[in-house]
Amino acid sequence: MAVAEQTTSVAAVGSTSAWRRYGQNALIILDSRVGTIGLAIVLFWFFLALLSMVWTPYPPNASQFEQNLWPNATNWLGTDHLGRDLLSRLMTGAQVILIKTRLPGGIAIPGGVAIWGVFGSLVLGVAMGLTAGYYGGWTDQIIMQILDALIAFPRIILYLVVIAALGQGDWVVIIAITVTGAPGVARLARSLALDIKNRDYVLAAQTRGESAFYIMFREILPNARGPLLVDAMLRIGYAIFAIATLGFLGIGLPPPDPDWGNMVNEARSYIFNNPYAVLWPSLAIATLVIGLNLFADGLNEETSRYQR
Amino acid sequence: MSSSTVLSVKNLAIAYKVRGGEIEAVQNVSFELKEGESFGLVGESGCGKSTVAWSLVNFLGRNGYVKRGSIMFQGEELTGRSPEELRQMRGNRITMVFQDPMQALNPSMRLGDQLTEVLTVHQSMSEEAARKRTLEMLERVHMPDPASVMRRYPHQISGGQQQRVVIAMALLNNPALLIMDEPTTALDVTVEAAVLDLIAELRETFNTAILFISHNLGVVARVCNHVGVMYAGEMVEQATVREIFKNPRHPYTQGLIRCVPRLGADKASSMLYPIRGRVPPPNQRSSGCVFGPRCDYAQDRCVAERPALHTLSADYSSSSAPHSVACHFAEDIVFADWQPPADMELPVQKNGAFTSGQEPIILDVDALKKYYDVQGNSFLDLFGLGEKRQVKAVDGISFSVPRGMTLGIVGESGCGKSTLVKTIIGLESATAGQADFMGFDITKDLNDRDAELMEELQMVFQNPDSTMNPSYTVGQQIGRPLLRFGKIPKEQVRAEVVKLLHSVRLGENYYDRLPRQLSGGEKQRVGIARALATRPDLVLCDEPVSALDVSVQAAVLNLLLEVQQEYNSTLLFIAHDLSVVRFFSDYIAVMYLGEIVEIGPAAAIYAPPYHPYTEALLSAVPIPDPDAEQKHIRLSGSVPSAINPPSGCHFHTRCPRRHLLPDGGKICAEQEPPWQQVTEGHRIYCHIPVEQLAEFEPVITTAVATIHSLGG
Amino acid sequence: MLLVSLLLFFMVEYGRGDVTIKILGIESTQAQRDSYRNQLGLNQSPLVRYFTWLAGNDWWLKDRVGRPLVTVYNPQTKEPEWWVRGNAGELLRWQMDGGDLFELVRQEDGSSIQRPAPDDIWTTDANGIPEFWGLNNNNSAVRWIRGEGATIQVRTKAGFREEGDSPVEFIPLSKGLIRGDPGESLRTGRPVSASLPGRIQKTGVLAMLAFIVVMPLALLFGVIAGINEGRWTDRIISITGLALTATPEFVTGVVLILVFGIWLKWLPAVSVFFSDQSILELLSSWDSAKILVLPVITLTAVELGYVARMTRTSMVEVMNSSYVRTAIIKGMPYSRVVLRHAVRNALIAPITVIMLHVNWLVGGIVIVEVVFGYPGLGTYIYDSAIFGDFNAIEAAAMVTVAIAVITRIIGDVAYVLLNPRIRYA
Repeated sequence: MAVAEQTTSVAAVGSTSAWRRYGQNALIILDSRVGTIGLAIVLFWFFLALLSMVWTPYPPNASQFEQNLWPNATNWLGTDHLGRDLLSRLMTGAQVILIKTRLPGGIAIPGGVAIWGVFGSLVLGVAMGLTAGYYGGWTDQIIMQILDALIAFPRIILYLVVIAALGQGDWVVIIAITVTGAPGVARLARSLALDIKNRDYVLAAQTRGESAFYIMFREILPNARGPLLVDAMLRIGYAIFAIATLGFLGIGLPPPDPDWGNMVNEARSYIFNNPYAVLWPSLAIATLVIGLNLFADGLNEETSRYQR
Repeated sequence: MSSSTVLSVKNLAIAYKVRGGEIEAVQNVSFELKEGESFGLVGESGCGKSTVAWSLVNFLGRNGYVKRGSIMFQGEELTGRSPEELRQMRGNRITMVFQDPMQALNPSMRLGDQLTEVLTVHQSMSEEAARKRTLEMLERVHMPDPASVMRRYPHQISGGQQQRVVIAMALLNNPALLIMDEPTTALDVTVEAAVLDLIAELRETFNTAILFISHNLGVVARVCNHVGVMYAGEMVEQATVREIFKNPRHPYTQGLIRCVPRLGADKASSMLYPIRGRVPPPNQRSSGCVFGPRCDYAQDRCVAERPALHTLSADYSSSSAPHSVACHFAEDIVFADWQPPADMELPVQKNGAFTSGQEPIILDVDALKKYYDVQGNSFLDLFGLGEKRQVKAVDGISFSVPRGMTLGIVGESGCGKSTLVKTIIGLESATAGQADFMGFDITKDLNDRDAELMEELQMVFQNPDSTMNPSYTVGQQIGRPLLRFGKIPKEQVRAEVVKLLHSVRLGENYYDRLPRQLSGGEKQRVGIARALATRPDLVLCDEPVSALDVSVQAAVLNLLLEVQQEYNSTLLFIAHDLSVVRFFSDYIAVMYLGEIVEIGPAAAIYAPPYHPYTEALLSAVPIPDPDAEQKHIRLSGSVPSAINPPSGCHFHTRCPRRHLLPDGGKICAEQEPPWQQVTEGHRIYCHIPVEQLAEFEPVITTAVATIHSLGG
Repeated sequence: MLLVSLLLFFMVEYGRGDVTIKILGIESTQAQRDSYRNQLGLNQSPLVRYFTWLAGNDWWLKDRVGRPLVTVYNPQTKEPEWWVRGNAGELLRWQMDGGDLFELVRQEDGSSIQRPAPDDIWTTDANGIPEFWGLNNNNSAVRWIRGEGATIQVRTKAGFREEGDSPVEFIPLSKGLIRGDPGESLRTGRPVSASLPGRIQKTGVLAMLAFIVVMPLALLFGVIAGINEGRWTDRIISITGLALTATPEFVTGVVLILVFGIWLKWLPAVSVFFSDQSILELLSSWDSAKILVLPVITLTAVELGYVARMTRTSMVEVMNSSYVRTAIIKGMPYSRVVLRHAVRNALIAPITVIMLHVNWLVGGIVIVEVVFGYPGLGTYIYDSAIFGDFNAIEAAAMVTVAIAVITRIIGDVAYVLLNPRIRYA
């Protein structure tokens, strides 16, 4: 009720540094139990991924053990059908999703495929959505028609088409995620722009003759970032889901790095001998997606409380 | 009148559990309510009025509960009852009417079903009997065509009718107690007046006890016989309605009465005295007197000890009924002897406010029109094949404003006043007509305007919560127009912003604050500072104070008056509150359905001869004085759609004076009325001859209370 | 839809790269690929091919051939064939043998009789070369040069075979997508229109079953969670729902196969159809229909969580609305508040979103069908995409897009019906 809302907001003290403000904003997630749990799960996987850059129990691609071992003292999570250590593969599998992207020519850049993919759809989607929402009229009609056309495609087909078109590769997956994600982001950004553009402060900016660019990116965007951020978190979850699915279909991230979806696919033929080889990567995908969802829920709860 | 007590609340305290503890939203509230009586609970927002009401129907949400005290209803204790017992009581013996009728009705259920279920559930009445009873009740609340209303959905009837339905719903079971929580706040003034009439009438015929919650003293004065004033969760004063207005004893009550303009008062002859500070949130209330930090009379005792509600002895009370006050010094404080403290921000009155005629015209609008295309709701429209229709939001408006003056524009919602402002500022382009501002053509929208022109035309917005961008600091937002128009070198911007902050009475420490750290009044001040940054010649104010609490409203109005003089700005002031407009403006235009029906000097508008619509508006204004005698003129029906405004005079469908003309005012429906010149600058748009209009009785016969007069 | 088709066509067009490499293998020679491209009519401009794909080309090719083009059903292959109607009403195709052109005259049973082509069919082109536009045995409009059979590389099951006596230019005949002919599948060599309907039917049954199971359950759980906001029932439903949504279909599917198919052996682990078994036959007895159980459960699991969570959100919002508050304060019993006042309003939002969500369902179906080997639209899309079978993938994708568009319209209509506020006059 009305009374409950006032308690958290007054405490914040004015500070000159915008960064400190963002820092404070970031900390509010800890007020939400759900959000904290989600954050913990996500950080756990980030940690494993980072750790695997410098250390894994065994080389992830070396077939140095007996095949299809169940969990034991040497191989904590068992081995797969080629005698590779599952824990090492699982840890390495998190890398490409979360913290590194392999570009053609053997270069790797920081930021995982899922993260770059979502970043791409954010940039593209926000630009289109803000433009459509702010200008309205014909601009809006045209952009929305194109987006509707894209949305009408089932995602999986877009993925298949993009991959059939460009072949396999980390950057192809990023493009696929960008293309499939952008329409959704654009719709959200558009609805936010439609809402915010009628706020008085935007009218005030218009009455002093600010450019459309300034209004879209300086007046509207900063106030839309909460919902967009929440949406982006959910989208990283979807992206991981999609990467796994593509991996399962054998058209996802290319070798040599292990891919969770592909691990499930390879192991399912041996499921009778060693269900763990299916279980671990499945759990990995599910927990990471759940973690991101919970984190997004918490973020949503807290930002909506904080904003008013 | 029987005097059996219906409701008796004693020492009520309500608490909400929140993270890290609990908050006592309401403390020490006691009052009694007898059969046939109506008790008004007044106070600003956040004072706990609604919380008290919710506790009576046991609807405090999951985290709220009655912490102390008792609620006796018809001799039975309500606290500690089982939810099922309370449920049977709710809607049967205790009913409630809410602020926003549109929200309160289920959008996907027919009104008839929503009404009859009250009877079928509580009284096991048959469907048929219930329908019959419901129809009768709808007739009693003067609902036109009740049978068809029963078949409709809420969105198909007007706001005033919706509120009648909600009231009918509340009365169906003949309740002993009817709680009304701001029942007319969401309604327009003429509709509000009709609903208040209805409430007063029902009180007499049903003999129901009414608990009436409102922030508006005028509304309370009209329908209540007892009043309790709440502040920061406490009851601070309680007496009969006449006593409260004639002999207020608590400094807060006094402050409330002083800070609202009386209808007819103007800035030249009276002043508004704001209450300093603002209502503290529940967790920051002082341990002594809750009002202490804002009180002019506060002494050490007020900080140390919380005053209890005590009944005044007959020497200090002017009525026979008990008058109780929660103030240590209630007996010593005399309302009439109050002097504004030296540090109060009051505008210095300029002399000769009415030296009009010499000032050059700064804004000249001629036959301005703004039409919008609308999309219809039929399947044809879905495919763009429907008939093209237009909303005639502004339909041929002409006026001019001299430099340094204030033109107030009044009218009910939908009359086009906001569209007019948007067209002048350039957020919309005009459909037709001329508008000239200091030699600039302002019929085009902002895309086609020069920076030079934009600098001179700025706007103050209505909603404090959206007037500032939540992402930037106060300093950045005030500084932006300075940078944008390159008024001053970059390194001096900060100094200039601080100067502007000072002129809206905010300190330099506000420079780095974010909007969420400001109160509504402070945000509005920042909005004013931002509008003034470029020193514009014309400032458009779109309901700048209507979203603020009354005590804050007074401060912001005073500030506007002051900066207007300091910056010599011309103002266009829009408001729906006639008292505020009258107080604030030099000239006033009254709008109805996209047209100005009357325009002239402020004083002239408020006395005959006036347009029948102006007359109706004036007679609808709730006056915070139970002794004021107001002529009873009510408009029938609701405002017609601006898509297809009535022919001839737009007002003819509702005009209460139309019968004065031959043939029942046939001409009104056929011909547009002529502009009749009354005096210099005072024009009326009506078929009825001025001589006849001048013969009308003035709407308000009681003289404006003298306590406000200058130097008071 | 038109925009979608354009987008789809050019995406596939520019996306797929040189389809011939994919089909013929990397070891194929450039000459083989070129020849094959020619036979597929891929040498025409993309725009021409787009319009052909969309609206067919028989209506302008008939002018080139000079006689009406007709399709006739072949009782032996059970596929439609293109023929030219001769002046006497007979149906004709042409074939070259040793440099001489022969007419094939169609007989009632679908076979044909060969007879020499008359001389007067030859015309002379701008360069003075005698040429003739006719139809070959592969349903293509082709250009023959008199006396000069070209040599082409013909793809057969065994590999490539050089063949003489061939026309020099090929334009595969098509009625076009909007007239129900999406072309020929490269993978199977059969018309896409012949295999697609059966696939759609099978997938339709699967999706419908999943829908019938999901909707009531999800709405029920969502409503229950919504009215118990914050309590343990809500927590359990929300978290289970989230877990189900976050688990990819292939994981759920594989686990279900493991448990029910392999350990318990209650249900078949894969969905094997006997050849040509129609979906109706399948559904006629439990024994054959039970192959559907696991796929349906897998689809249900994923959708259930999503829809339930959405319903919950909507329900929570409605339960906190003023009109529900009014109903409570009117003293209505709780059950009545929920059933009469809240549920209908709460379902408005999910229903529209569910309809938009069909795209997602299609994605799920692809995976589920692949996991279970279910021969529906999903596996068809997947196989075609892997193969680079552009006609098939374009047609199948258009089908899914059509489904998406139709469900969206259904969603809009449902929204209007449920919400009296926007009921159209």
